[in-house]
Amino acid sequence: MKQIDEGEIIGRVLGGDREAFAELVNAYKGPVFRLAFRMTGSDRDADDLTQEIFLRAFLSLGRFRTGQKFFPWLYTIGLNVIRNHLRKARAAAGEGSGTGGPDAADSGCSPAEAAMGRERSRRIQGYLMRLSPAVRETLVLRFYEGMSFEDIAGLTGDSSGSVKMKAYRGLEKIRAMMEEDGFGDDES
Amino acid sequence: MKDRELEKIIGVLGGKGLDREVGGLDPRWKELDAIARMMREEPAPEPPAGVAERAMARIRAHRPSPWKVLGEALLKPRTVSFDPIRALRAPVSGQECSFYFIMVGIFYAVLGLVLWVGLHVLGAFPAAPGWVRWQPPIALATAGCMAAIGLYLLKDGKLALRTARIGALVYLGVALFNGVVVSLEWSVPVSAYVSLLSALVGLPTGFFLIRTLQNYGKRYA
Repeated sequence: MKQIDEGEIIGRVLGGDREAFAELVNAYKGPVFRLAFRMTGSDRDADDLTQEIFLRAFLSLGRFRTGQKFFPWLYTIGLNVIRNHLRKARAAAGEGSGTGGPDAADSGCSPAEAAMGRERSRRIQGYLMRLSPAVRETLVLRFYEGMSFEDIAGLTGDSSGSVKMKAYRGLEKIRAMMEEDGFGDDES
Repeated sequence: MKDRELEKIIGVLGGKGLDREVGGLDPRWKELDAIARMMREEPAPEPPAGVAERAMARIRAHRPSPWKVLGEALLKPRTVSFDPIRALRAPVSGQECSFYFIMVGIFYAVLGLVLWVGLHVLGAFPAAPGWVRWQPPIALATAGCMAAIGLYLLKDGKLALRTARIGALVYLGVALFNGVVVSLEWSVPVSAYVSLLSALVGLPTGFFLIRTLQNYGKRYA
């Protein structure tokens, strides 16, 4: 990720230079899209949500405090937008519609390995979608994004202990689901 | 297993420290570790091409509603030095000028409400002459105009300054005229107080606003 002076860019945006915000969008579109994709399991929803998250961030920039770190602030907005989306989606049509694993960049493996990898991704994403949004969010932030439990606690407003317990419960549920489906042994 | 131990193990799941932490403990932990590792090793999905451009297009196309603009203008925290004595002598900012106009607006809003409640609730309305009956709407209209000018001054422009000057002169004229008419129309002793109040508040306030605007105008000189 290119090093950018966030404070300076935010100052320019607040001063009326809307286009300067594009630098922040380009710098953070990857992590924001990944978060939205892992939480919804849908490329199209993740695309829409990524746009929505940046729009909300732009509109809320006036409330951004000087000295604060931009990325956690953006992530908090992202989580709120995604939670609202999931709530509405659940109310409208039941659980989210996982469409499979991500189209990852070519990692240089054989077609058979790539197919197996895609199948495994699809399966894990499917299990993830069957968890409650709060537990899913914890697993995504911890294991996909590699965040510390303390940082997750800072983002979600939970205590570090509670975040750890959510992570444990989430993994345990996935393990039980895999066992039910008969995939337990080949993965571990 | 104690909570602390449990938390410690959860902390290393998917990482490299599980063997050190749990050794030959429950194989279930190893299964959880394998699931966590699978997630960690998942390839990161790439954002679709053009997502940044689409996000920027939405930002460019976004037009906030007038209510939102008004709400933000009113609720946005601002640092305004409140020093009326200095405002009479030294150049002031548009924000400070705006603050004085809004304060005058708030004063007239309260005055208008008090007069309205006084005339209607205390039963004086039917006996009051025409011009006196008009006092609550006049005060409320003054409040609205002053607040509107105050908000306009936040734009910090020459046109806003010119509008505010006209507004302040009209206000001064109305305050004078109102004081005289009320004392002529209402032949009871209390009319003198109403007239006095209007003049006492209106004249110094009007002169203060005009002087502040002159000092604000020095920035454009």
